[in-house]
Amino acid sequence: MSSKILSKDKLDAFLQGLKGARDVFAPAMVEGKVGWAAVEQASDMLTEFSNTEMSPKDFFFPQTECMMRFKNASGDPEGMIMMAEPALARPRALMNIRPCDAKAFQVLDLIFVQDEMTNDLYWRDKRERTACIGLACNDPCPTCFCTSVNCGPHHEAGLDLLLVDLGDKYLVKVLNDKGAELAKDLPAAAAGDEAKAAELKIAAEAKITGGVSMDQVKSREVMELYEAGHWDRVQESCLNCGTCTFCCPTCHCFDIQDEVQGESGRRVRNWDTCMSWLFTMHGTGHNPRGTKKDRVRQRFMHKFKYIPVKRGGEIGCVGCGRCVQLCPVNIDVRRVVNDMNA
Amino acid sequence: MFARRRFAVLKNLLEYAGLEPGRLHFSWISSAEAQKFQQTVTEVTEAVKALGPATRMIKDIRKVA
Amino acid sequence: MDNAAIAKGIREAAKKLLGEGKVDVVIGYAKGTVPMRDYPYFAYTPEEAENLTWSGFCCNNLALYAIRRPGRMAVVAQGCVSRNLVGLVNENQVKRENLYVIGVNSPGMVDRRKVQALFPGQTITEVEEVGDELIVKGVGFAEKVARKKVMRQNCYTCVQRNPVISDELIGGEGPASHGGNLDKVAAPWEKLGSSERWAEFQESFKDCIRCYACRDACPLCYCHVCFVDESQPQWCGKTQDEADVATFHLLRAFHCAGRCTDCGACESACPAGIKMRRLTMKIEKDIRDLYGYQPGMAIGAQPPMTLFKPNDPQDFIK
Ligand code: SF4
Ligand code: SF4
Ligand code: SF4
Ligand code: SF4
Repeated sequence: MSSKILSKDKLDAFLQGLKGARDVFAPAMVEGKVGWAAVEQASDMLTEFSNTEMSPKDFFFPQTECMMRFKNASGDPEGMIMMAEPALARPRALMNIRPCDAKAFQVLDLIFVQDEMTNDLYWRDKRERTACIGLACNDPCPTCFCTSVNCGPHHEAGLDLLLVDLGDKYLVKVLNDKGAELAKDLPAAAAGDEAKAAELKIAAEAKITGGVSMDQVKSREVMELYEAGHWDRVQESCLNCGTCTFCCPTCHCFDIQDEVQGESGRRVRNWDTCMSWLFTMHGTGHNPRGTKKDRVRQRFMHKFKYIPVKRGGEIGCVGCGRCVQLCPVNIDVRRVVNDMNA
Repeated sequence: MFARRRFAVLKNLLEYAGLEPGRLHFSWISSAEAQKFQQTVTEVTEAVKALGPATRMIKDIRKVA
Repeated sequence: MDNAAIAKGIREAAKKLLGEGKVDVVIGYAKGTVPMRDYPYFAYTPEEAENLTWSGFCCNNLALYAIRRPGRMAVVAQGCVSRNLVGLVNENQVKRENLYVIGVNSPGMVDRRKVQALFPGQTITEVEEVGDELIVKGVGFAEKVARKKVMRQNCYTCVQRNPVISDELIGGEGPASHGGNLDKVAAPWEKLGSSERWAEFQESFKDCIRCYACRDACPLCYCHVCFVDESQPQWCGKTQDEADVATFHLLRAFHCAGRCTDCGACESACPAGIKMRRLTMKIEKDIRDLYGYQPGMAIGAQPPMTLFKPNDPQDFIK
């Protein structure tokens, strides 16, 4: 599709245009941390940042989400009937999404929305009602490794528009019809601008040096990877906490519970983590992932083998490096994958 | 007697975190002291009623989240 | 002795222990793949012992890994870790005879969030320790920072930087404290009114994502089933509702009463920068004031929550 130009002094006007129909969120400085926040004007948005500490997956998959409500009264004809929660009141736009996080949306689309039976409306409705505007990375972090996992600093998957910072202006890559609508009032880009963006893309990709190799992981059988000796070392120091899964843009496990309070009841889903023993505990007392090793292995096998096998080669990691930075015991996913590949 | 230490620490902690004062009561009552039990329960109930509904540490699933 | 010399001493000691078959494993720290994150490392052979290190970035509490671990092990322990090992011996979770303590005086560990806060928005690629200073390097900058300025708060107020038990002390004893006064900072909300305390408490924990890294990094939290994971009955809701989050934090802190050594591993582990020591510090201050007890100082000492004295304070009981 075409490319447009957004001059930086017009950024606020563009934002106000978006705000006419949508609530707009973007990375911002929130109490000393780079996080996602609602923005009122362009000056609220960060433009020089590596990435937000937590991923934006919670815009579509909140950590706690009420799915439906019911009247907790079984004798009552109105009782125990599930009632839908109202959908998102106003459409949203997310600005300055890093390409890895947007790629993660696309990976999760494949998981939450597969076919008629596996069609998570909570995820899907929010995705449909949200415009995703990315910001390409010109200066990736030392912990980024997106280029080795089907992604990259200028990757376009999962986005409607991608902005590339050209100094005093952005090149706006229009990626689909939704994007075309958002950018319809912007002037077209000149060929020179597109060429400049293409150069920046190559330069950014070249800055990513700490990659992982996946060729052996791809070709090896599941059981060979599963039984490999290195898991004994990976699990030694692992705390089995939820840090890596909760900060990860592609981890998506949840737990559903019914909560009641007098006559009110609701069904609520919360993030859960494969690192927790409780996650797989059966009512019988049997736990198919009974050891720390089973659990830590699951996270990596799921991302780098099971998802690729089941989802046409897509990988359950986008190389954002968050878990590398946040794991309390420095279990570095790059090292783990390279060990799987060794 | 063990509980006395634990309650001392717990009470201090809850008050330190700003739970409304006056909602936590402790009493020594032996199983033979029916009257003291009755009197204490009445006092506690009245004291808590006078405070009105709690506003902190309240989870209300009816509210839209 | 500087950290590099101590690291060498640890490696020598570990090689000897493993070479002579005195222990099956040496649990120490190795250099991390990201700046300021040296990590728990298990050396089983003299060759693996070469990977051991020692620095101001050893923020995990290794006592954790000794809990109910079979076989003979050596653990690298600074003051707080040794105190937790003592606590675990006293609580029958570690057998003293299976444990070999490689003691070290702690230089005071670095709070990586404090360092990052000095370079907002900038990417730090390397942090080097040179005596009392850190050299912080990033893309296009290299600056000196005084260690004292970026030390973890708990290290600043620590009064026991030397190990309380050790089978071998690497680098000799050093200063016991850094000069901070724990009692002055332990309970800052005491001077506030109740609603302000509640506001502070809510504010302090509002970014918690309930990953439980604080609990999982803590050498006191070794319960087979933690109360937050109980499902029959479920004591604590699973949601992000402030009451659920508060329940977790208040009760976890309470379970640490009279046992917490203020090692700071919880805060260092937290991905959200939560200061949960605000609760545990207050409890430990009360325990000092009420029962004159400091956890982990002596083998055989009985934890204060498992004891009573006839004259224990009870003015709160009507
Ligand atoms: S890999 Fe790290 S972040 Fe993940 S569960 Fe283990 S200790 Fe926690
Ligand atoms: S596994 Fe780690 S690097 Fe990969 S997407 Fe998740 S948080 Fe990012
Ligand atoms: S480590 Fe931090 S975010 Fe995780 S549960 Fe503890 S306080 Fe919450
Ligand atoms: S919080 Fe309490 S129940 Fe949970 S592990 Fe720690 S001590 Fe055990």
